[in-house]
This record gives sequence, C-alpha cells and structure tokens, in this order.
Amino acid sequence: MNPEQVVEQAVKFGLKLGADEVAASMMRERRKMLRFSNNSIIVMQSWDHTVPAVYLTSKRKRAAARVGDPDFDALMDVMKTLKVAMDISKPGAVESTLPKGPFKYEAVPHTYDAKIPEMTDELTGLAEEAINAALSEGAKRSSGTLVTNEWEKFVKTSTGSEGKDRGTSIELSTRAFFDDDASGMGVSCATRLADFDPTHAAKEAAKIACQAKNPVFGDEGKFTVIFGPSIMAEFLSRVADFASAYFVDLGLSFLKEKVGQKVASEELTLVDEARMPAGINSCSFDDEGYPTRNTRIIDHGVLKTYLHSSYSVAEYGGELTGNSFFAGGTWGLTPIPLNVVVEPGDIRFEELLEEVKNGLYLTNNWYTRFQNYQTGDFSSICRDGAFRIENGRIGQPLKGLRISDNMPRILQSITSLSKERQWIKWWEVETPTYLPHIAVEGVGITRATK
Amino acid sequence: MEDLVRHAIESASALGVDYAEARLHIDSGSAFTLNNGVPDPVQLARERGIAVRILVDGAMGFATTNDLSKASLGSTVEIAYRSAKASRRLIAKPIRLSEQKAEEANWETKGRKPLPGVTTEEKFRVLEEIEKNLQPDIVKVAVPSRTLILGDDITERYFANTDGTRIHGKASRVNLLYVLTVYDPGKGTIQRIGQQGQTGGWEQLEQWDPPRLVSDEAKTLGKMLTEGKQAPRKELDLVVGSEVTGIVCHESCGHPQEADRILGREAAQAGESYLKPEMIGYRVGTEAVTVVDDPTIPNSNGFYLYDEEGVKAERRILIKEGVINAFLQNRETGAELGVSSNGSARAVAYDREPMIRMANTFMLPGSYTHEELVEDVKEGVFVKTFMEWNIDDRRYNQRYVGLEAYMIEKGEVTTPVRNPILEITTPRLYGSVDAAGKEVEFEAATCGKGEPSQGAPVWHGGPSIRLRKVRLGG
Repeated sequence: MNPEQVVEQAVKFGLKLGADEVAASMMRERRKMLRFSNNSIIVMQSWDHTVPAVYLTSKRKRAAARVGDPDFDALMDVMKTLKVAMDISKPGAVESTLPKGPFKYEAVPHTYDAKIPEMTDELTGLAEEAINAALSEGAKRSSGTLVTNEWEKFVKTSTGSEGKDRGTSIELSTRAFFDDDASGMGVSCATRLADFDPTHAAKEAAKIACQAKNPVFGDEGKFTVIFGPSIMAEFLSRVADFASAYFVDLGLSFLKEKVGQKVASEELTLVDEARMPAGINSCSFDDEGYPTRNTRIIDHGVLKTYLHSSYSVAEYGGELTGNSFFAGGTWGLTPIPLNVVVEPGDIRFEELLEEVKNGLYLTNNWYTRFQNYQTGDFSSICRDGAFRIENGRIGQPLKGLRISDNMPRILQSITSLSKERQWIKWWEVETPTYLPHIAVEGVGITRATK
Repeated sequence: MEDLVRHAIESASALGVDYAEARLHIDSGSAFTLNNGVPDPVQLARERGIAVRILVDGAMGFATTNDLSKASLGSTVEIAYRSAKASRRLIAKPIRLSEQKAEEANWETKGRKPLPGVTTEEKFRVLEEIEKNLQPDIVKVAVPSRTLILGDDITERYFANTDGTRIHGKASRVNLLYVLTVYDPGKGTIQRIGQQGQTGGWEQLEQWDPPRLVSDEAKTLGKMLTEGKQAPRKELDLVVGSEVTGIVCHESCGHPQEADRILGREAAQAGESYLKPEMIGYRVGTEAVTVVDDPTIPNSNGFYLYDEEGVKAERRILIKEGVINAFLQNRETGAELGVSSNGSARAVAYDREPMIRMANTFMLPGSYTHEELVEDVKEGVFVKTFMEWNIDDRRYNQRYVGLEAYMIEKGEVTTPVRNPILEITTPRLYGSVDAAGKEVEFEAATCGKGEPSQGAPVWHGGPSIRLRKVRLGG
C-alpha cells in the first residue's frame, strides 16, 4: 500500500470504527548523521523510517496514536484499541472540529534539493572541510555533527483536507577547542546545498575558541549583555514554545493570559515564519491539513496570539495558525513553532558593541532550567566563548558564568538588535531560529564557589 | 524475530566486516492525561524496527529501518557497511572494541500485575483519585494548574553480534508525571514537576499510593509558598535530603565519569568532563562519599541485565570513599582505555545508537539518623527537595535551588525557607560532605544525552548528607 492509500484507508477505517472525525498522516524520513570529535569521524548513522499517525475525535473525546510500523494491519490494530480507550475516557473541555477542507496548498519555494539525499561519501568530505577550516583558524581540535534529511509527508482528514509535501535539509553544528576551557561553536543549516557553508561555521567556531583562550573567572552582578545568536535562539525558541496553546494549557508558560499585552520590549518582533522560502522547517500544511502561514507571535513587544490546533482554538478562541503537528513521542496533535524568526535591528554588530560600551558578550549556553514556568525564573550556563565588553570592544575572556534571571524581565529589557542574522539549529535548539545579536540590560550573572 | 536479527548478522558477515551487531525492538506504550480534571487525548504508541551497527577497518557505521522485510534488512546492512567505509579516510585512530565474553541469555521483568491486563478504566480511576485529592478542601491551598500523566511501556529486544552473543530481553515500566502549580493571592505561585517510575507491573504504581503522594506534594508546596521566609545568603552548614543527594550524584559524579565524555566523543553535544583518563585514584571528596551506579536493582527505573552491546550488567563503584574509582565504559571506550566494558551501553529505542548511560546512580548510606545529621548544626539549612538545577558541560560548576527547605537552628529543623541556592564546584561539594544518613531513597528521572537525543529512564538517590561550611547565594 503506498502512503496515499495508507492515509486514505486510515481515515475510512477510523470512520468505520465510529469516530466523528479522523486525521491521518504518514511521514517518511531518510536521514544521515555523521558525528566527529577530536578531528576524527566517530560514527556515520542512517535512518529510513515510515511513521503513520492518526487522530480521532468523537463528540468531545479525542485520541491519537503514532505507529512506527508501516504495516497497515498494525495501524488498524492500534486504531481499534485507541477507539475503545477513547470511548472510555471522559469528554474534553470543549468540542472541536478539524478544519473543513479542501484547501489549496501553495508550495513554499526552495525547500527541496535532490542532491542532499544522495550524499554519503560526500559527507566525509564536508566534515573534513569543516575540521580543516577550524584547524587552519588556530583551533587545536574540532567536533561536530553533520546531518542530512529528506522528508515526505502525506495528510488526509475526514473533513476534506488532503495533501503531500516534501523537503530536505543539511545542518552542521561544530565546536572548536583551543583548550579545554576555550571553545566556540558555529552552525550552518540550509534546505539547499548551495546555501550550506561548513567552512564559515567551522571558522566562526575556531575564531571564538581562539579569542576565548586564557579565561578568568567572571564577576557576579547585573550586566548589560550582548547575547550571540546561539544563546538567544535557545531563549527565544523556548518563548515560541511557550506561545503554544498546549504549554499554556499545561500551566508551563509565563505567557498564560497575556495575549494582547506587552510582554517584551518594543524592539522585539518574534514571528513563526512557517512559509519562509528556504526555511529549514517550512512546509505547506499542518497535520490537520490546514495551510501554514507566517504568524506574528510577538509584534513590537505585544503578544498577538498563541500557536493553535483546532482544539486550542475551540478552547481559547482566536484563529487557526497552521501549527498543529504530531509532535514527538505520543503527544498527539500539538501546536508547535516551525521557523522562529526575529526581526533585525538596524545597526551592525560592531556598532552594537560600541553602543553597549561596557558589559558582557556571551556566545552560547546550555542547560536552561526554570524554577517556575509561570513566573519565568530560570538559570542557564554559559558555554563556549564569554567575554567582557570593554570600551566597545570584545575584551577579557571569562569562564564559570551562569545567567540567573527571569525570562519575562529579559524580554522587557531588550535594548538593541543587530542587522545581521543567521540560522541556529543544534542540539540545544531544536526549532530552527533565524535571528541577530541582541543586547539586554541588567542581566543577572552568578557563579559557583571556587 | 530472532531469525531477522540472525539474518542481519549473517548478511553483514558476508560483507567481510570486522564486527557487526543487530538489535530489534518491539515497543508499545500508552499515556493518559488529566489536565485540570479534563482528559487530554488518549495516546498510544507502537513501534518496531531494527538497527545494525558495523565496524569496518576501524570505522563505525549504523543504520536502522522499521521496514522488516528481508529486502529492506539487506539494504539496511548495506547502508551501515557503506557508511562505515565512507568514514574510513577520516579516522584518526581506528575504533576497536574490548574483548567480552559471548553471552546467551533470556531475561524479563515480571510484574505481579502485568501491564497489558490493566484496563483503561483503572488508569483513569487512578488519575481521578489523584485529582480528587488535590481539591482545596483537602490540600488547604489553591492548585489552579494540575497536569497528571500516567504512562506505561513495554519493550522487547533481540540482540545478536558476530562474537556469538544472543540476548532476548523484555521489560515493562510504569510511570507517573505530575505538574502542580500552587497559588496564593498574596504570595504568587510555586511549581513542582514530580515523577515516579519503576520497571515491573501495575503493583509498582499501587505501592506509590499516587493520590496520597501527589496530595502531600501540594500541601508541602502550599506550606513553602505561604510560610517560607527568604533563605539566608551566607556560608553555613547544609543538610540535603535523598532527592538532592541523588541529583548531585547523577550530575557531578555519573555524567563526568562517562568514559565517552572523558574521551571527547560528546564534545559537540552534552560536552566533556573535568576528569581525564589518568585521574582514576584522584581524590574528589571526603571518605564519607561512595557513589555507585547499578543497573541490576530489581524493579528500578534504570533496570537491565544485559546492555545494548550484549555485555552483562554489573554494579560500578564510581567514587570509593572520596576517590575516583571507575568510569562508566562501553566496548569502544573500554578498548581505548585498556579495560573491559562494564555494561554501560544503553539505547532507548531501536533507532538510537548504544551509548554510555547511567542506570541507577546513588550514594551509599552512612550510619547517621536524620536527627544525628542535624543535631550539631548550629546554623544551617535543610534542603529536602529541589526545583531548578543545572551544571556546566564539564560537570564542574553546578547549581541546585531548594524547593522544600527549612532553617536548622541549634540542632533543630525550624521554619520553612524559600529558594535556597547552592552554586558550587564538584570537588568543593564532595569535599564538604562529613556525614551520610542511614536511609537510601530513589527518585525517577529521564536523563538526556546523545544526538539524536535519547531520554533514558534512570533512578538517582542516596541518603541525606551533611555539607559543612558551604555558601548559599544566587
């Protein structure tokens, strides 16, 4: 049975079981990943998966299943169990209906490159290019991950939506070391090989690593900080997640009951550009079959909308945003951001440094944890190059720093953004994020006892 | 299924590989959610698939598929082989695997009440009982956000390699996740994300007594929110409960003693370690500190008897009386460091490579009662549980923010305090421990590592321990 037939039969079977509405999707992914460390390949991995998923509704009851088995008998078997479990469950808070199709889908330009899925031996060459670029820039060792992906998706709903879509991507995140405590990270990601630049990413990583050598312990206190794109991508992709009605509903978002309110500085405009040409996660429709669109989440500091599924629109009001996907694990249809995009400022990075004059420049982070998602109190560890900004220039490298602050306060304290932007997607930033350097006042910094 | 695994190994052998292994999983799971008393969608997941890992001329290739036809299997073996061959020219040091005894075994976690026999009605009944016990008249505080997720999963795995190892294992696991937000009009909110998890059957969940457990959590949150005073910011003595001891052992002992991190393999993702290969024997703490990792504890969340390289699981003593004693090893790091694997390779799904992971990491108990730990503390803080925490990617600079915490004054636990913050280095932390309690408790957690990410079920725990003269700040 081909994928179109699987989703069609799944919808028919769901209705036959007695569901009021059915959405079925089938995703095939062919992915390769080359991992290297200490200038040497450690493993090349390859995946070929076909995963059907279904969503059923019956009055105010809902159920979903992800079936990592392309055999249609397995899917039918799971759907029978699912329907029985759904019937036993109590009704949800509201009655929702899937979007009424059919819809006309417009393809997003530049999201597929046939050369990418064919690469295997070439991946070694690209990794070698990245390693050599880092070493030539002065790094002592280089590590990283190079990933190619080709995906193809089919969606059909009982409410008249039907579509198929496909895309490719190639991503490198690489970390260069001058010493154990002097490192830097660079990222390049694209949907087309022509836009992919591993050398630039590796050189950027090595440049930061070499600048970061001989760091000293930084001071605690409040500082004006310029956050590099990697670190702000980690923060702002989380903010976009917090705008998902699903996280609001779980009580895991400080954006709860904030639609229409000023939640950030006027300098910040945060958009989910699901239809960005050559956007890493750009696609034509969501898993409810609703056409994707570009959604302004925060517009000049004001929260404009949550990201929605058909259920969350019924619960919270507002408009469908085309963000409903079978996202990870068994979590059913969940609103998620696709491409998080921050509108740029109008000054160059060097001018941003001059504007800040004295403060900190932090390039990367990891391990962000919240005390309370509703208040937004959190801390996060600085990783890779961290520097003092001294008289408008990058100065003394620092180590041992932790950002200990409150996310709503950070959003409200953004003062300036650079005009250069770049894509960030790596281990800590799963949602591709396109953004500039961003300056924030009064950032809390703490450090461990020596 | 054993035939498929054997077929994959035979196909790989025919290609002239140095080593090959095949691992087939059949996994299923469900999740039932009550969100503020209202059900979220019932969720089921089922998947099966096979992974093949091949070593050719010192280069490693790994390929997976969920199409279990013979043709697809042949193609998957071929892709793993081609991937390894394609990597060969950029291998600085050929990958080798430690010599291990070929094993043949069949193991299973058997619950008294097997999970497939538990009805959907029973699962919702448990969630509704919890929900009922979170009402304001019972917990005496408002809990405006309540998310309760009851999950279970069963994994069956077939493993074979070219060394002659053949393992069949089956494990079932039940878990409960709860997110509570407690609110007071004058004090704001406080939040707790709690988790329970064990291998075995439904009887494991029953022994947690979920309605009482979650209700008690809400009452404690209410007390901390409404009665907690600001925590001191100064140097003093600290007594931390099992939950805090456990996260400390996990973050600053288990992770830095993963040999793949020490050798730099995870540098671009989860990071490296403050430890170097030659630091076995390095004193990192006092003699009161002995930390072990043990996958073989029956019904534990991180339970297994053979790892995903077919190596028999064993208890590893990571820190012995304050001295670094052993690292967590798989076959690759074992060969590089001249030791055997100690059975630490885990993979959370068929489509994930086996990598070094913790299982159940905990500090061994001492001889003190809780009263004895506290009685000679003139001024200190007892931190029973924590909320926010993190640690740098070399596992040296860490932070724990207390959730349930109290002052200790003249040897007695007194008033609740809010948000005590410990930011401290690893040697300073373990070097401050002067006493450990008698009782060991465990907490369930999901440990993240790897690319693609692998969330591994683990336990961490230990006794209450006392730290002398550490600085609370933040």
